[in-house]
Amino acid sequence: MSLFSIWGQYFPSYLQGLGVTIELTVLSLALALVIGFVLALMRLSKVRGLVIVATVYTDVLRAIPVLVMLFIAYYSLGAIGIKLSGVEAAVLTLGAFYGALYGEVFRGGISGVDPGQREAAAALGLPPSSVMRKVVLPQAFLAILPPATNRFADIIKDTSLVVTISVADLMLQSYQAISATYRPMDMLGLAAIMYFVVYLLVSRVLARWELNVQRRRS
Amino acid sequence: MHVAWLYLGPFLQGTGVTLELTIVSTVVALVAGILGALGMIHGGKILRAVLVVYVELVRGLPPILQLFIIFFGLTQFGVQLDAFSAALIWLMVYGAGYAIEVFRAGIQDVSEGQWEAARSVGMGYFTTLRKIILPQAFALMMPELTNFTVLQLKNTTFVFFIGVADIMYQAQQGAASTEQPQVMFVMAALFYLVLNGGISRVAALVERRLTAYR
Repeated sequence: MSLFSIWGQYFPSYLQGLGVTIELTVLSLALALVIGFVLALMRLSKVRGLVIVATVYTDVLRAIPVLVMLFIAYYSLGAIGIKLSGVEAAVLTLGAFYGALYGEVFRGGISGVDPGQREAAAALGLPPSSVMRKVVLPQAFLAILPPATNRFADIIKDTSLVVTISVADLMLQSYQAISATYRPMDMLGLAAIMYFVVYLLVSRVLARWELNVQRRRS
Repeated sequence: MHVAWLYLGPFLQGTGVTLELTIVSTVVALVAGILGALGMIHGGKILRAVLVVYVELVRGLPPILQLFIIFFGLTQFGVQLDAFSAALIWLMVYGAGYAIEVFRAGIQDVSEGQWEAARSVGMGYFTTLRKIILPQAFALMMPELTNFTVLQLKNTTFVFFIGVADIMYQAQQGAASTEQPQVMFVMAALFYLVLNGGISRVAALVERRLTAYR
């Protein structure tokens, strides 16, 4: 069978897999952004307990391999009675890990805003929540955007780890196609092309968006 | 006796494999990274294009897919690697892709005037690199290099999937035979935590010695 006819035969299942990959990416990103924002606020707060908890969380999660965390979420939690599906375990793991990374990104962006801005807003009588929302965050956004979009591309790639817990993403589809066809390079090649196209699309589109935001702001 | 004690031996064996993969691949990737970065900065058009494509591919494809291509994919062309070699080759190839970017940024952070000054006193290219540029670049790059080594260690976990007996593999075997994954994977997490703590400690010592160049 020719390369293209075999690719054509498996393309539908690969597309299904890609759908799962995108679903995992979007859900993980959403969770990571929320966790990251909370962590950043905790680390910038004046309550020592919150700062310590957030710092320990960040350091520990960054030091443990994501795959180990995924297995803890999937197998270890399951053994003590918290049964998660593969997708749930993956979203929880990637969300928790990238949350730690986004926490650092957000903290850097927020603390990079000139303190004079905050003082000026407070002097004008803005309540603290509006100072954050209307003055600090819009300015921090510019600094946060480039590192934040880089991490996003990394999440897409890391979703492929779910192949180890049999979630039917793009990676698993290609892995199964290998044993069905005995043509490993051809079947991995198609997956590689699809991943790379998504990676290029995401990084180019986001880069364009960054440029637009910067232009509008300056 | 608690199962954790029973598996301490296999885990320590796994640690040996994990460390071997990490150290060898990191050293090779760093050397390749320096050469690649020089190619990016001072190389001709074709060399630069090749390097850009290489870096983009390594960074754009999922790590586990790259490992599969080396281990499973190459068999289609008759190249049958054993699991350990495939794992080591992948870690080198992958690490080099990231190291090139780290060194490119680090070397370019050293001011152009340093190259010119060295040339004006008659120093050759590689002497300048070894005596002037790299010591300064290393001092500037220490945080990134520490991160890089930690990432290499974390990436070794993927190789258990093709059957290399690293820490992750031992944990998985232990979880399967004891049916106590809650012990085995937490234990694996602790091992990686300690190893990464060790890397950071060593890096801090090196950094203290290198700050003389800053």
